[in-house]
Amino acid sequence: MTPPTTGHAVSLRGLTKVFGGQTVVDALDLDVDSGEFFSLLGPSGCGKTTTLRMIAGFSDPTAGQVLVGGEDVTSTPPHRRDVNTVFQSYALFEHLDVRRNVGFGLRRKGIDKGEIDQRVGEMLELVELGDRVRDRPAQLSGGQRQRVALARALINRPKVLLLDEPLAALDLKLRHAMQAELKSIQREVGITFLFVTHDQDEALSMSDRVAIMNGGVIEQCGTPEDVYENPTSVFAAGFIGTSNLMPGVYASGTVAVTSDLRIPVPGHTTSVDGDQVSVAIRPEKIWMSDFTPAMVQTPGTIVSTSYHGATTQYLVSVGTGITLTVLEQNLPRMRADDRWNAGDRVEIGWLPEHAVVLR
Amino acid sequence: MARAKKLERKPLVAVVVTVLFFAWLYVPIFAVALFSFNDKKSLSAFSGFSTRWYVDFFHNEALLESLRASLLIALVSAVGSLVLGTMLAFGLERVRSRRGRVVGAITLLPLVTPEIVTGVAALLVFTGAGLKLGLDTVILAEITFSIAYVTVIVRGRLASFPLEVEEAARDLGCTPWQSLRLVTLPALVPALIASGLLVFALVFDDFVLAFFTTGVDPQPLPVRIYSSIRFGVSPAINAVGTLMLLVSALLIVAALMLPRLFKSRSSSLDLITGGERR
Repeated sequence: MTPPTTGHAVSLRGLTKVFGGQTVVDALDLDVDSGEFFSLLGPSGCGKTTTLRMIAGFSDPTAGQVLVGGEDVTSTPPHRRDVNTVFQSYALFEHLDVRRNVGFGLRRKGIDKGEIDQRVGEMLELVELGDRVRDRPAQLSGGQRQRVALARALINRPKVLLLDEPLAALDLKLRHAMQAELKSIQREVGITFLFVTHDQDEALSMSDRVAIMNGGVIEQCGTPEDVYENPTSVFAAGFIGTSNLMPGVYASGTVAVTSDLRIPVPGHTTSVDGDQVSVAIRPEKIWMSDFTPAMVQTPGTIVSTSYHGATTQYLVSVGTGITLTVLEQNLPRMRADDRWNAGDRVEIGWLPEHAVVLR
Repeated sequence: MARAKKLERKPLVAVVVTVLFFAWLYVPIFAVALFSFNDKKSLSAFSGFSTRWYVDFFHNEALLESLRASLLIALVSAVGSLVLGTMLAFGLERVRSRRGRVVGAITLLPLVTPEIVTGVAALLVFTGAGLKLGLDTVILAEITFSIAYVTVIVRGRLASFPLEVEEAARDLGCTPWQSLRLVTLPALVPALIASGLLVFALVFDDFVLAFFTTGVDPQPLPVRIYSSIRFGVSPAINAVGTLMLLVSALLIVAALMLPRLFKSRSSSLDLITGGERR
């Protein structure tokens, strides 16, 4: 396989799409590195699929540029772009068998038959479909169809592979298996993956970097850890994982959520006293026992308890109108008797650096 | 799609009505076929087996000429309406506009217009334009009439064909024309076969349009049969009718079998009948 080259596989410059007076993608700037697994994550209608379609060439940008491998392809038709797509519906050619589906792109390039057969064989081994070569797509299961779609795109060794929610149609168990497989295939072939999804777990577990999209713009872009631990906007904090969001007023290193509850936010420097801000704390960062001296602690009352197998989720009221979600691991020592019940008075605490200020 | 639950016991009255209906439908046709093998001229008493009426037919140059004319009309009409009807289907399906919807509705008009009106109208146009009536005018009229069938069937198939598949073809290096040829048209093959065979069968034994638009010589077979019946029914006509029935039956069987040969998921007749969805 071709080794990853340095530089950007895809660059978007002020990419804009307006549909019937509505701006779907708004002056997007983005650089995806070669060999990177990059995810565009956002709710439906955020413009992520439209962005992907503009990169593939199926949709013409209203303004801006698309660069693939440093080359401006904004007005290049799809069949001459060094880009391939795995479609959400897989879009397999039902009248061709698996072998011809996968070899389709190479045949269009006029590569000789011997090499096509060899590469198709290798590719089908990679996606573990070596024994289904002569089958029609109709004879395959959903997961197998997904692999054919992947193989059919990958075999062309594009500068970037675009994946449009390719796992959305699979059931949960298969989806988890395919996530791991997709990631390992990507490492093996070293091709840049640009992955579109609305599933935050998927984006976090597979990607080198994630861009969170909302309303046609990128809200935040960074490593999965970065966007999860340090969300920079209320939307990003709410969309990735769950977050306890508390509006309050900033004053000298703390945020006053209620008159009793002042949350220290050390290290936050971009607000001045009196600013209206929000504080976010992840549910799993809040402790209900084993406190350390550095933690911020506050008393609360259990509102409800729900058991989720591996974890227990508590809703804890810490003041008028302020209810926090707390997620606790069900560790071996925890039995049903050890869990708190509604009405119990508890103490909760968190490390100050886990309180993130959002503006 | 879930299959409708079937009744455990078939109601007797439904069975009787069904049997009577099929008897009413097929006994007369069977009688025509039977009497085509009668050795006497009688159409009421079967006196012995003979193929003399078939021999008669194959020695009757006028009837054979009509058969050839009808086959030619059916073939050219099928091909012509297939090309035009498919193009129209693409236009209607892929270019969405208000005007397109109006055109779509107009396309269906020939299906509901009484054929006799179409026939008279075609005759008026042809004579008004000073065209000499002959096989070409019949073909012209039949194509005009048949486009609607092709368009309806092909459009139905096209509507269920995901645009993403064409995009996939373009993504993999096809020009728009190549993606049409390599991906879209192959997916339409069952619909094209079905509508082609349907038009062939409809046109082959169509009387009304042919009657109004044909010249004197050669007459299409149904017109020829009609004119000879006026001078008394000859069993040779039964033989011709039986042969025509055979042709139509073969077409239906072909329509059923061909898609199987193409290993397609659905039979082309499913497209007409609605078929059995999986």
